[in-house]
Amino acid sequence: MKTRITELLNIEYPVIQGGMAWVAEHSLAAAVSAAGGFGLIGAANAPAEWVREEIRKVKALTDKPFGVNIMLLSPHAEAIAKVVVEEGVAAVTTGAGNPEKYMQMWKDAGIKVIPVVASVALAKRMEKYGADAVIAEGCESGGHIGQQTTMALVPQVVDAVSIPVIAAGGIADGRGFAAAMMLGAEAVQMGTRFIVAKESIVHQNYKDRVMLAKDIDTEVTGRSTGHPVRALRNKMTREYLRLEKEGASFEELEYLTLGSLRKAVMEGNVSEGTLMAGQSAGMVKKEQTCSEIILEIVDEAERLLKLK
Amino acid sequence: MLEKMKEIIAGQLNVDESEVNVNTSFKDDLGADSLDLFELVMALEEEYNVEIPAEDLNVLTTVSEVMEYLKNKGVEE
Repeated sequence: MKTRITELLNIEYPVIQGGMAWVAEHSLAAAVSAAGGFGLIGAANAPAEWVREEIRKVKALTDKPFGVNIMLLSPHAEAIAKVVVEEGVAAVTTGAGNPEKYMQMWKDAGIKVIPVVASVALAKRMEKYGADAVIAEGCESGGHIGQQTTMALVPQVVDAVSIPVIAAGGIADGRGFAAAMMLGAEAVQMGTRFIVAKESIVHQNYKDRVMLAKDIDTEVTGRSTGHPVRALRNKMTREYLRLEKEGASFEELEYLTLGSLRKAVMEGNVSEGTLMAGQSAGMVKKEQTCSEIILEIVDEAERLLKLK
Repeated sequence: MLEKMKEIIAGQLNVDESEVNVNTSFKDDLGADSLDLFELVMALEEEYNVEIPAEDLNVLTTVSEVMEYLKNKGVEE
């Protein structure tokens, strides 16, 4: 399947793996890229030297292009912005803010810049500052989310910019992929389905919770702090929501979530950890290799879109 | 400038022009979030033909600060 995104990133299939904190490390990114999609290392709050090591590890595993997702609220964002230039990656995606101050540096280094946007205005602004594409991410996603749904946001962003748009949020199979293309997107980004990939290092307990999840099993915490997060409902989200309802301070809430994603991903603590996952968790039912996931989705989408 | 600003702010943030005066804070008084502020800044850039970099956003919290900022950028009326 050819789109402007497969051309831009020099990949076979327009499927991008979300830059999930802790989850999107070198094994997953390399496997997705090797399978013909586009793998990302999720820098999240990790130090710049960790990101440098991960980039080198992906390069040792595959010659295919891959990228880094930079979370702009990270205290290490500035240092990581430089590491990607020094090490050389094909593309950078950005989240949690506006990357315009780094844009020129990345473009000069030949790195494609793809910001995640949650509104039409931000998409237009990113285009003006030279973004190569944007990811329009709806609130069905796991992790940090915006307010609008994928179904409503994607076509509005598509209408507002002339650069290609990547749809994200709630997409986990060929039907979602085909629907995104119908909305005008030229690629999809998926996170939740890749959490349970065979190459994903996520603890088996976490994967099992994703695969057992029903449609209604995600919850959004942190609306009061202005930084809402979607995760699978568990003891942790219930405690958070209780404190939030009681008007707990930002610091108290932060303390509760400190290290909680690591607990879930690395230790498999499914009651006190934060099991970030999107609403699509309810349709993610089996552990497959990244290659199986991508081929299955693309095949189904191509049949639905009558491309074959 | 104030009248024009009121009109733009009211239009972008869906508030009544009467709720806007020089001391109005976008966040505290009008409930604007970061996406709303981007809408506003882009409307201002278009109206006054200036560039407002993202790093300046955190010093533009009230109407008077925006007016002062635009004056420093050479906007007169």
